Amino acid sequence: MNFYLTYVLVATALFAFTALFTLFALYSERKISAFIQDRLGPMEVGKYGSLQAFADILKMLQKEFIIPSAADKILFTLAPIVIFVSVYLGFAALPWAPDVIPSSLNLGIFYIFAILSMETIGILMAGWGSNNKYALLGSMRSVAQMVSYEIPAAIALISAVMISQSLNMQEISIKQGILSPERILFLGVWDVKAIGGFLAWSIFQAPHLIIAYVIYFIASLAECNRAPFDIPEAESELVAGFHVEYSGLRFAFIFLAEYSMMFLVGMIGVILFLGGWNSPVPNIGSIKLAAWTTGIGWGIFWIVVKTLIVVAVQIWIRWTLPRLRVDQLMSFCWKVLTPLAFLCMLISGVWRLTMMS
Amino acid sequence: MSPEQILFYFFAALTLISAFLVVTMQNLVRSIFLFFVTIFSLAAMFVFALADFIAVTQVVIYVGGVLVLMLFAFMLSNRELLSGLQAVQTGFKMSHFAGLMISLGFLFLLYMAIASTDIVNLPWIKESQQISPGDNTVHQIGINTMTRYLLPFEVVSVFLLMALIGAAHLARKEKRS
Repeated sequence: MNFYLTYVLVATALFAFTALFTLFALYSERKISAFIQDRLGPMEVGKYGSLQAFADILKMLQKEFIIPSAADKILFTLAPIVIFVSVYLGFAALPWAPDVIPSSLNLGIFYIFAILSMETIGILMAGWGSNNKYALLGSMRSVAQMVSYEIPAAIALISAVMISQSLNMQEISIKQGILSPERILFLGVWDVKAIGGFLAWSIFQAPHLIIAYVIYFIASLAECNRAPFDIPEAESELVAGFHVEYSGLRFAFIFLAEYSMMFLVGMIGVILFLGGWNSPVPNIGSIKLAAWTTGIGWGIFWIVVKTLIVVAVQIWIRWTLPRLRVDQLMSFCWKVLTPLAFLCMLISGVWRLTMMS
Repeated sequence: MSPEQILFYFFAALTLISAFLVVTMQNLVRSIFLFFVTIFSLAAMFVFALADFIAVTQVVIYVGGVLVLMLFAFMLSNRELLSGLQAVQTGFKMSHFAGLMISLGFLFLLYMAIASTDIVNLPWIKESQQISPGDNTVHQIGINTMTRYLLPFEVVSVFLLMALIGAAHLARKEKRS
């Protein structure tokens, strides 16, 4: 019975983490955007507005559930749950530290990609269920964008998987640091297994993965529906896109899904390309920095810090770049990202056969 | 019953009930969304058969691809066409007779096949190696695809390439003469 209790505890902990992260990200997004636009941002609630996110959540909890009279009630009610659960399930296969992983699946990254594709169904449910033309248009745009950008993202991930030779996220992480059972070649020539640190990360094992990471990062922005790829919610055209009719706790769930998705895609990128929970500092001679900073506590620390940096870059990009037009968005995906991703995959194959054999 | 058995019967029931509702439901959009439940519980059944790769592939292809395509086709088609499809048909017609005969015949065939085989003692099941829940099946599938089943694999890839080129050709703008 303990066995099942652990499952419930792990799931609850993950949910608590996503909720806390959303609160934190909400506040930091406001503050970063304020900094970029040269304003102060929230300042009233608490010191430097630090309680603003809690105040917002309290406000949302008190709100009434409004279901439009012409809406499809079942679909409208279920949609936020489907959207959130699909993102939340993705966390099941992500490793946090050596030996700390909710479920060490052999299919790892493939499973996460499959589960994330469920989100499109939830978005279409929300769009159709609302019975609102803006919501429907927003959801159609969102799905078209997510389905197209899945392709370069997946191919870029495959090129990283070809270097690490495993779909299991934990094995991929292990192969990028001092705990690796095999030798690690920095740029394919210098054995850095004993040195570790950032030299052992995937992007430095095979330098073309830097391009693959940039492709993945851009495509993951589009999958989160974030600016500059936020045409599904384009405020000036569609009011708020697919979640225009939602209020209160249901809206909070859609919001939670969006921010958890940011963390999730950031974390996938960190695990596959940026060394996962491995420490960025290398061993230098007798100063064993990498060995000292590897362990369960350090692992969680490093992966959270790395992912938060990636999330900060996502926020920074959102408040810096203007929105793309639909045709620009599609031609960028199909004519630039997809061929480049295929090129990366080809180089990965050649690299694996020539430099790493 | 063990928790695994309870889960298995739960998903089995869910598959059957949702599949039945998909066919009988009048509201087309809801029936497409219910199809998602069918596919998902079917993927759960594959997990119980230790075919985790097939389960995940099922979700990728049907949920990420086929279902989204169906929804798009539904939302982009015109309303009169759909109201014809959604119209209630009551009563037994002569045209239903052929369908009824085919489905009954198929049911009989399936029943005969299942009843006449001794599943536990089939030679190919006895000769094949056993897999346990923790095994890396992807590894074995990859090796088998590239060695034993290379020709079918290549034929399928050429076929898919043909479909892709065909789709691109159909979607291309025609030159004005």
